[in-house]
Amino acid sequence: MIWIGTPKASGLARVLETRRLLTLVLAGALVWSLAGAGWGGGIVHTGGGNSLKGFLLALFPPEVSPGFLNLAFAASWQTIVHAVAGITLAIVVGLPLGVIASGSLGNPGRSRLAIAAGVRLLLAFMRSIHELVWAVLFVAAFGLSSLTVVLAIAIPYAGILGRIYSELLNDVPERPLDGLRSSGASPVRVLLYGRMPMALTDMLSYSFYRFECAIRAAAIMSFVGIRGLGFEIQLSLNDLRFDEVWTLLLFLFALVLLVDYGSAKVRRSLGS
Amino acid sequence: MILTKNIVDGRGLGKSFGALIALAPLDLAIAPGERVALAGPSGSGKTTLLYILAGLLPPDRGELFLDSQPVARLQPGRALSEAVGLVQQQLGLVPQLPVVQNVLAGRLGQWGLLRSLTSLFSARERDTALKALSRLGIADKINERTSQLSGGEQQRVAIARLMVQAPKIVLADEPVSSLDPARAEEILKLLTGLTDETGGAMVASLHAPDLIREHFSRVIGLRQGVLQFDIPARELTPPVLDALYDLDRNS
Repeated sequence: MIWIGTPKASGLARVLETRRLLTLVLAGALVWSLAGAGWGGGIVHTGGGNSLKGFLLALFPPEVSPGFLNLAFAASWQTIVHAVAGITLAIVVGLPLGVIASGSLGNPGRSRLAIAAGVRLLLAFMRSIHELVWAVLFVAAFGLSSLTVVLAIAIPYAGILGRIYSELLNDVPERPLDGLRSSGASPVRVLLYGRMPMALTDMLSYSFYRFECAIRAAAIMSFVGIRGLGFEIQLSLNDLRFDEVWTLLLFLFALVLLVDYGSAKVRRSLGS
Repeated sequence: MILTKNIVDGRGLGKSFGALIALAPLDLAIAPGERVALAGPSGSGKTTLLYILAGLLPPDRGELFLDSQPVARLQPGRALSEAVGLVQQQLGLVPQLPVVQNVLAGRLGQWGLLRSLTSLFSARERDTALKALSRLGIADKINERTSQLSGGEQQRVAIARLMVQAPKIVLADEPVSSLDPARAEEILKLLTGLTDETGGAMVASLHAPDLIREHFSRVIGLRQGVLQFDIPARELTPPVLDALYDLDRNS
């Protein structure tokens, strides 16, 4: 019998062994940390299991009395109005800022880049503060009013939209832009005839998604006392009327579905 | 201002991308009325040269004068669009726009900002676009989304845009590559007719030797960025072409 010595572990085998070792270490760390979490007794609030069960059962059926449904519609409308106002303002502010931040305007040069960088910094600041924190700041200035909600949504969302718009405008294919430049188009015309048409579908799609987020944000913000879905949810929760809570949640779900549907329709009609 | 009778005056034009020499320094002088063909295998620098001549790509070295003006002085706008225009090989149109908008983009160098903006919503000078598209046989596509057209049709839209722009120097990067021989013949006649009207010049890259001999007065051969020859078109014989496209000789 001829013994052929086992070949030395190749480079790949060594990498795989390292990976296996790493996986074991990570899995071990996970198990160890979970074990240390103190599972005995106090993890779920006493009676919490029953509360959760009660909450889930209240979905069948949810509160559908005409009086309450009216309330739910009114609250939903209030939330939509805040969300629409907030996102519209965000687009109106975010679009020009995004265009400037993309550096598409003006002739190539240091001042254009400096201005674009400055605007990017502004957009970053606007979105670094969460909408709820903006809301707390504005409640001090404007009280519990619609203006608070609208501005608290509009400012960070303008920061987010501006940043995304600027990236979408920059990521378009370059060849068609060269084609426009060869016809003598200035940077502004290249933006109007080239960047915007090519980036439009994605810009709209992302704006619709942000509108959906604005609805959630408006609903949450109304927790603090401004009328809307969140306000009613909080009232019903305090009364332990879980069936009412479910109705309101279903309304919120329906709002999000509507926006989703609307977005899909717009995308299709643009022939994406 | 340099006094020269040439409509294109390039000296020592060169371009590199990192370590790759796309175009070795070359001189190029073109007189009004000349029709110059660019021949050479892929990667020979034809597109790079055309982009430099169109003012889209600044050369690393050398100077270029278009219609007696230094190319750097021709800012986007009226002067540049009247001096030179380019038909790219492919992908030079905006796919989402209707054909009429892509064609009318040829006027963007002439239109003011307000007119450019409003035309995007309701096409101004639609008839101009219609006329150009008719001469290319695709008038019926005028309202269609450009991405719906075939490759050959899109190439004709790009040519229509150039016709609407009507620059003095017509540049074309393989304008007839996806067209059948009959169409290719028509297109080249149209392009040369355009240069006759404006009293300008034409530079086009193409492969077919018959078309070169028939429609062009002069042919420049490039290979791996280096000028191989610059001869009258009638001197383009098979041996000359074979040497240019020689597949056996690599780098």
